[in-house]
Amino acid sequence: MIDYNPTVFLVDDDEAVRDSLGLLMKSVALASQSFASAAEFLAEFDPECPGCLILDIRMPGMSGMELQQKLIEMRAILPIIFITGHGDIPMAVEAMQRGAVDFIPKPFRDNELLDRINQALEDDRKNRESLVERGEVEKRIEKLTPREKQVLELVVQGKANKVIAGDLDVSQRTVEIHRARVMEKMQVRSLAQLVRMVMQIQQ
Amino acid sequence: MTGEPERPMADRQTYDAPEWKALLDAAVDAIIVIDHRGRIETFNSAAESIFGFSAAEILGKNVSVLMPQPYSREHDSYIHNYIDSGNARIIGIGREVQGMRQDGSVFPIGLAVGEIATQGPVKFVGIIRDITDRKQSEEEIHHARERLSQFARLSTLGEMAAGLAHELNQPLAAIATYTQACQRLIESGQSDDEEILATLKKCDSQAQRAGDVIRRLRQFVQKREVGRLEVGCKELIHDIAALAEVDARNNRIPLAIDVAEGLPNVMVDAVQIQQVILNLIRNGIDAMQDTDQNNEGISVSVKQFDSDNIKVAVTDHGGGMTEEAEKKIFQPFFTTKPSGLGLGLSICQSIIASHGGVLSFTKNRSGGTTFYFTLPVSPETDT
Repeated sequence: MIDYNPTVFLVDDDEAVRDSLGLLMKSVALASQSFASAAEFLAEFDPECPGCLILDIRMPGMSGMELQQKLIEMRAILPIIFITGHGDIPMAVEAMQRGAVDFIPKPFRDNELLDRINQALEDDRKNRESLVERGEVEKRIEKLTPREKQVLELVVQGKANKVIAGDLDVSQRTVEIHRARVMEKMQVRSLAQLVRMVMQIQQ
Repeated sequence: MTGEPERPMADRQTYDAPEWKALLDAAVDAIIVIDHRGRIETFNSAAESIFGFSAAEILGKNVSVLMPQPYSREHDSYIHNYIDSGNARIIGIGREVQGMRQDGSVFPIGLAVGEIATQGPVKFVGIIRDITDRKQSEEEIHHARERLSQFARLSTLGEMAAGLAHELNQPLAAIATYTQACQRLIESGQSDDEEILATLKKCDSQAQRAGDVIRRLRQFVQKREVGRLEVGCKELIHDIAALAEVDARNNRIPLAIDVAEGLPNVMVDAVQIQQVILNLIRNGIDAMQDTDQNNEGISVSVKQFDSDNIKVAVTDHGGGMTEEAEKKIFQPFFTTKPSGLGLGLSICQSIIASHGGVLSFTKNRSGGTTFYFTLPVSPETDT
């Protein structure tokens, strides 16, 4: 388990709303960072930095929805909780369809908001962990020789050694050796483990 | 007032000629001739019905009996001043003054006075019209106009309800969050008094902020005596800008307001002029709903127009108006909006006209429309 030190990013054009949210985060010992506009946030955005984003849906300049779109295009995984005001429900629904974690109408109850933040941070942690795992798997695959990669591909497809030997025009014994190397380099003991690992990065 | 029944005899026969009498009595307006001392010599039948005196009882009396104070007291000296100096205050001019009937009731009259040159001392003829009905209908029109503009203000705010709700929601959300955070800080034992105190002050200022929104709303819609006061251009714009900004922000359209320094004051009904400004800004916002020019926004400028007038201009960067709209834009019930009544601009125009200004518009070279109006500056103002 890696260290997880999340930051709650607050983007709202209203200074008092921003400031009060900052204080609420402080009261539950969560680190936070405030931005008065979507553009300000984007300028300092670091995809590596874990946490979640509390985003006002309605702002002058770049709106919350536009920022969400930009983050999607950047393949950022930061979970977004939208703050909505009066009459923003249709917009909020669209935001959800585009993958926002949640939305919460203003004014909010602290419990409700904090629960959602905690949920978002949990999601973010899991996402980041699985990304790390995925990176690890990719590194292992990198270490395979071209021939071993071919064998891996065919093994995952469920083909028997004999069939693979035929496909690659080598002896069955050679396939067995390659296969043992693949298992060793991928650090797995069973075929099932190997298949799961490869499926994961193919998602 | 001289009570003597003595009747001056000069030119009497002329007035008594039947043609002359017929002419006088056929006139719709009261016709009264007085001598150089103010004594009534002729009192036609219209005068009898307007003032309620019969000619028989009033001939020879001083004309001041037909006036309320202070005119009544001063009238003799008006005549003397004119005879001595030749300075005419009323002769050949005609004006609206007040008359008094036999029963003591006072009513508005239109008065024209002419001088009659005779061999002897000068005489004057007064032609008098009872303008009670006209005054009354003027007043009714005035009140109807104010009721209409009051209605328009209410409906404007109705249309702005979503934005206003948002504007109230912001400080409420901040107050709720501040207090919840304080509770958590105190409960967890990690609070320090200074931080709690600072936060309470912030809550207070947010409550004031919400209160300000309500105060401006109430000022804008409350029923009130219509009256004109001298106000500075900055003050005039300030309060309405706050309301207009709510709407602009809600539609994500930037609003820039530029009031030139050192402008003279204007003598206006501030709420009505603010209503016009808000209406023009809201029209601009509507015009920009469907364009991509939103980052250019709407600008409001207040400048000196010429030595006697200031000019307020509201410029949008919307799609501009169609030719048809340009022709009909000030007509009542003409509207380009799906839910519009089509009264906004015609009400604006009548408000500006009643202030002695002009409301008009020009096409912007860079697209969109500029609506502008002028207002006469207050005469006593110091720049």
